[in-house]
Amino acid sequence: MGYNELIKNFDVIRDYMRDFYVYGWGSRDEYDKKSSRTYDDAKRRIENWLGEYMKYQWDSDGKRVFISVDTRNTVHNPLYTTLKAKSFTNGDITLFFIIFDILHEPSVYFPLSEILDKIDEEYLSRFEETKIFDGSTVRKKLNEYVSMGLLKTKKQGKILYYSRTKNISFNNTDVLHFFSEIMPCGAFGAFLLDKQEEYRDIFTFKHHYINAALDSEIVYSLFSAMHEKREIEIKKITRKGDKRILRIVPLKLFISVQNGRQYLMAYKRRNKRISSYRIDYIFDVKPLEKAEDFDFLRNKLNGMQPFLWGVSTQGKNARRETVEFIVHFQNDEQYIYDRLQREKRCGTVEKIDDSHARFYAEVYDTNEMLTWIRSFICRITYVNFSDKEIESQLKADIETMYRMYGVSE
Amino acid sequence: MIFSEIYSSYYNAVSHIIREALQNPVNAEKIREIILKYAFAESVLPIEQALKNQDWQLILPDGRTPLKNIPEIPLTLPQKRWMKAVSLDKRVKLFDVNMSFLDDIEPLFTQEDYYIFDRYSDGDDYDNEKYISNFRMILSAVHDRKPLDITVKNRKNHEVAFMVMPEKLEYSEKDDKFRLLTSGSCAASVINLGRIVSCSFHEGEFKTEKGKRNSDRLCSLTLELVNERNALERVMLHFSHFEKTAEKLDEKHYRLTIRYAQSDETEILIRVLSFGPLVRVTAPERFIKMIQKRLKRQKSCGL
Repeated sequence: MGYNELIKNFDVIRDYMRDFYVYGWGSRDEYDKKSSRTYDDAKRRIENWLGEYMKYQWDSDGKRVFISVDTRNTVHNPLYTTLKAKSFTNGDITLFFIIFDILHEPSVYFPLSEILDKIDEEYLSRFEETKIFDGSTVRKKLNEYVSMGLLKTKKQGKILYYSRTKNISFNNTDVLHFFSEIMPCGAFGAFLLDKQEEYRDIFTFKHHYINAALDSEIVYSLFSAMHEKREIEIKKITRKGDKRILRIVPLKLFISVQNGRQYLMAYKRRNKRISSYRIDYIFDVKPLEKAEDFDFLRNKLNGMQPFLWGVSTQGKNARRETVEFIVHFQNDEQYIYDRLQREKRCGTVEKIDDSHARFYAEVYDTNEMLTWIRSFICRITYVNFSDKEIESQLKADIETMYRMYGVSE
Repeated sequence: MIFSEIYSSYYNAVSHIIREALQNPVNAEKIREIILKYAFAESVLPIEQALKNQDWQLILPDGRTPLKNIPEIPLTLPQKRWMKAVSLDKRVKLFDVNMSFLDDIEPLFTQEDYYIFDRYSDGDDYDNEKYISNFRMILSAVHDRKPLDITVKNRKNHEVAFMVMPEKLEYSEKDDKFRLLTSGSCAASVINLGRIVSCSFHEGEFKTEKGKRNSDRLCSLTLELVNERNALERVMLHFSHFEKTAEKLDEKHYRLTIRYAQSDETEILIRVLSFGPLVRVTAPERFIKMIQKRLKRQKSCGL
């Protein structure tokens, strides 16, 4: 089959998009795991969808392709575009517009037989080579639209009638724009914006991670499963690239606005643990039966939250660890104390004197905190972790930085 | 389902072609114009051909359509459920909207279903009536390009008044704060909405101060990193929202160059420090000196 800019399966393109956007490169040679034809097609599609954001660079490995987006100057998440490229058949699009033209308002309702007659007589017969759709094809389409909430049915006697659902007119583009960028599954808002007439963009976004758009379908499936309190089977890749199938109870999404990652917190019955699962590593979600203990498990997670710095529920010792450090600030550096206060999450902060503040927390995994603690480099006067190995790691990191930057005094 | 053809650019473009054909017969030129506006750069040929060849029996050879009504498709249930979730978010109060039409819809998710674990805790107060009325006035002023008189409390807790032309509202998910981006006043090119004491439409002439906003100046920063402790993925994702270039130097070493607004330099410095020895700044020299200065201060802390 020749090249088609539309795609049937989002998974393949999701991988490429992530490589091109997050890692910032992708050269043909690095994709030997897939065919070069697949690479060429994927690259062409992404160039087509995201033309203005595609960049190229030559190095020793050849031509590299990457996506570069300054999200502060990009008012609409460009990655949503990829979700608007689903392929379909000639019949799909023809029937879609004709069916909704026949059922043009909620008060109009017809049974399948009349819809079939109208399709043939009022629409397709006007073309030279009339297409023919059989009853089962049209019924399948009607039922698909019912399941999407576009149509509804009612029975009179033994006959099933179809009509469109009541339309909702919501044209506040500010609301749609703002929430499409910052809420999970914001693609739905982006699709609604597509239907609006010309409008002015009011919002811009700072610290804006747009990669979550690529995980929209997975997140939608997870929310649906949580809403129905169902167990799920997920297929995921590990960091090393192996594939795994797991059966878990999805409990809550944990989202980072500082590194762009999204996690599923879920209970795995086999090891009786609540753990985190990277959502961008999940490529399939299958709903299973109801989890009768869903509420109990979610409460258990809620009870753990005061000891979660990020998403890690267990350090290597399987018990809570203590973290304490002191920072120094000068009289005109009150903002450092304020910074500790606003960034302390599950920890506590107390002023020891006019120029020192102590941070203390009990967490499941000290390792998760190192990144944040290192951001106070230049004023850390004391550290005391119950995990001495990680305390040594922090000190060793700082020593290494002294050497890296030639700081001897 | 989110990845569905009914949300696709093709369906959207065809919907607009049908709208046009209901009014006047559409010719190839008009069809191309609509496709270029609503679909992808390479969509012209496949859509045009499919309509012309009658693979999609929606436009007649004379450019008219057998359809009788403007194609308006109801919202899907997932779209309604997403909007219901929006209606439950506390920030929706900032907008003067009534979403009671969603009363009988189950939300796709609620605050119980997700948690942002690293958001700063001193975000704007969306329950504050004064904040809400300021927000709405500013939103209206941005739409209508009306100048504003704004009084803010500065960092020293002094009240300062500005006359500004509102341009955009910027939201930071990390800070959970809105900032008004303005023109016309060099001293107040960015105003935190949370610091506004009073806000009103400006009456009379609006005088523009000449000057360029500091935040418009972009700086470049080059980092090299060793792929240990999953640093490659962590660093690349962390800095992914900047305009950037990345290079693979060898099997373990990578170079990343980002462009950032100079007004954010301290924040960038802190973010680089947070990666510790996993990244090394190689340019510019000025930035390296800032890191060295911090490291020297750290060394004097006696840790």
